[in-house]
Amino acid sequence: MKLRFDRGTILLTGPPERPDLAGAPGVVWDARVGAHRTPAIRYPALKRWLVEGKIPFQDIAPPLRPAGADWSSVVDLRPYQEAALAAWELGHRRGVIALPTGSGKTRLALAALQRTCLSALCLVPTRVLVDQWLREIGTVHRGPVGCYGDGVRQLHPLTVATFESAYRHMAHLGDRFDLLIVDEVHHFGGGLRDEALEMAIAGTRLGLTATPPRGAAATRLDELVGPTLFELTVADLAGGFLASFDVITLHLDLSPEERTTYSGLRGVFQSVHGEFRRTAPGATWLDFTVHAARTPEGRRALAAWRQMGRLVTFTHAKRRALAALLERHRLSRVLIFTADNETAYAIARLHLVMPLTCDIGRRERAAVLEQFRLGHLRTLVSARVLNEGLDVPDADVAVIVGGTLGEREHVQRVGRLLRPSEGKRAMVYELVTRHTIEVGQARRRRQGLAARAPAQL
Amino acid sequence: MRPARPLSYSVTARQVVPHFLGEHDHPWLRMLLEEHARFIGRPRRELEARLRQPLPGETPPRKLELATQVLDRIQHSRPTAAVPPRQARALVFIEAARMPASRETVLGKVANSLGVTAADLNDALFADLPGERLVGAPSSPLSAAELALRSNLALVQALLFRATAVTVEIEGNTRLLVRHAKWRGLICTIAERSGTTAATLEISGPFALFRNTRLYGRALGELVPLLAWCPRFRLRAACDFEGRRLALQLGTGDPIFPAAAPRQYDSQLEERFARDFRRRAPHWDVLREPEPIAADNDTLIFPDFALQHRSDPTRRWLLEIVGFWTPDYLARKLEQYRKARIANLVLCIDERRNCADADLPPGALVVRFRRRLDPAAVLRVLG
Repeated sequence: MKLRFDRGTILLTGPPERPDLAGAPGVVWDARVGAHRTPAIRYPALKRWLVEGKIPFQDIAPPLRPAGADWSSVVDLRPYQEAALAAWELGHRRGVIALPTGSGKTRLALAALQRTCLSALCLVPTRVLVDQWLREIGTVHRGPVGCYGDGVRQLHPLTVATFESAYRHMAHLGDRFDLLIVDEVHHFGGGLRDEALEMAIAGTRLGLTATPPRGAAATRLDELVGPTLFELTVADLAGGFLASFDVITLHLDLSPEERTTYSGLRGVFQSVHGEFRRTAPGATWLDFTVHAARTPEGRRALAAWRQMGRLVTFTHAKRRALAALLERHRLSRVLIFTADNETAYAIARLHLVMPLTCDIGRRERAAVLEQFRLGHLRTLVSARVLNEGLDVPDADVAVIVGGTLGEREHVQRVGRLLRPSEGKRAMVYELVTRHTIEVGQARRRRQGLAARAPAQL
Repeated sequence: MRPARPLSYSVTARQVVPHFLGEHDHPWLRMLLEEHARFIGRPRRELEARLRQPLPGETPPRKLELATQVLDRIQHSRPTAAVPPRQARALVFIEAARMPASRETVLGKVANSLGVTAADLNDALFADLPGERLVGAPSSPLSAAELALRSNLALVQALLFRATAVTVEIEGNTRLLVRHAKWRGLICTIAERSGTTAATLEISGPFALFRNTRLYGRALGELVPLLAWCPRFRLRAACDFEGRRLALQLGTGDPIFPAAAPRQYDSQLEERFARDFRRRAPHWDVLREPEPIAADNDTLIFPDFALQHRSDPTRRWLLEIVGFWTPDYLARKLEQYRKARIANLVLCIDERRNCADADLPPGALVVRFRRRLDPAAVLRVLG
């Protein structure tokens, strides 16, 4: 019997010594091609099954490994990083490590690459992060490093790729790597990107995140990457390996005109939403949107909800508060977080501060971060780009003008400030408008900063 | 990755029925195009803000959203600014961080250094960003009817995103379809033969045995515009809608925007032969791309021509021109023909290919040629 990687699957061709493959993991007969087939992710289990059953087979060509001599220096880890890596080793090199932003997840990944000496594909969410990972790997590895993303297709035993490239090319790359490292792994477990992880043969998998998913997404991630093996939160490391910080919530009011508009919109929304809640008490927000989209009144209610959200994103009071905060922290490195790009641009225009959004090109972003590092730019404003992954130079003040993505987004944003330095104490200002939908949003997002001690090992 | 598109369809008896845009939608599509034309030369954010408001009259919201997205994809927006925006940002924001001065002072100082007005500099700051780009006209004039067809294609492709496998009964242009399917990593098999010129193809991704994947669903969707060039087709797709298995059917005449016209012949050699043979043999029909033939499980053969005598239906020959191929490819091709055991095959082989007789499929009639295939030589072997 011969195993062959075929477009994200493993094809078992040729007559098997023992014809019964019914018990083989995930294997089914494919009448289209007259052979047995299993998803590539089942390859390690299939191989184990064949070996244990003493069934002779011709294996697929093993992926090429990077040369050991290419590693120029040993990757040193902090104690909690060592503990995390040990947990991963004990978990048979398959699972998720959750560490707060700024605690050195990439460093941990470098150590995993170096200690396993396996061919590895590192998956990252954005093109900017590809560059960042290439730089980081280059600090300890002299050999060539491949890159998939932004129109580049270079394959080497160590390769970095964007999620999007992996999704598009894994059907052809899936047999080239023994180890998958997935940065910001919480993006997987509930969407079409999962396919990329299913189409790879790698039996060794490491997921990294600051905010591991819960519920159904966690179960799915367990299948794709492995269980959460080690978890520390911001509160576990703040004051030691991460900078201490204070969160100051500024409760602001709507102006009389804004309040009138808001109340009108709320009335439109409540008339439909309230009625729905009465008839379907256990229903979710998603149920409501599906229900509302069916009728003109429902669609008006949804439109009113969106307008309420837009209205509170950058109110008059927020404008005044932001101006005062920027003046007060004029000499600090400040990150401003908004709910959407529109608000980020409005702030950029108003205060002449650089926006860092998905619309700003890769080279310009890199140049902007360099200027921020050098202190030539002191303030950046962003809706989502600064949320995760990017290695933002040392900042000490954050102003959260708005946000809609909840706990995960908040943890990631606060994490931007936590790179430790001598005597540093970071400040996080949250601007929350009283008696609006923002109050609940702010309450929910703060839950993510609570400690989850003791760390799981 | 593109965000989920709003889809207009209904489900009846486990069938997905796409709500195609038709003539009844043309009035509001015309209004949409007029609104779009009105905003040409203005920032896109203004158009987006306008389209968040309802159009006059009744507009089906999902169809409107779909048509707007399709229109957005085919229009070209362009940036325009007195100063390259990236340069403007680099200078203005660094200057603002350096000097504690008012907004106007900073803009004025940088504008002076660049020799432009402060207002121009202010406009240039974000002129290249999507919302600030100027709305452009579509590359060619667009009618309501064409926008409807393009929207229908987008709708069907979005539905097929959820497809695991499709069955296509098809007449003509099969080769085009199969070639594209293979190029996208799909598996094609012949399910059954139905009639003399139609073929039934089953097309699916390697993962179809396990579950729907969007990667191969997208590839299946890409086949749809090619079907418009088949004289007759019927497509049945098995789709997965959040765990519900539903069927989608499309057929000849469905209002879907077609792909660009495919080339009729692969080479001048083929084109010249078809023309010369028709002239030389008026009692024979020359059929380009007859039905495909299964060589083995995963391989289909597409003879170049079928030659059919008009008054004698039993005189039907499949003709393959073996032209400028590499030796490896030629060997594979001949092996496929041997496996297929076609009884009525004419192989026309370029003398320069150096084919040994032993390599040829048993029973095949062989015509050797140099540069140009002589129809008289073919007629001689047909008897």
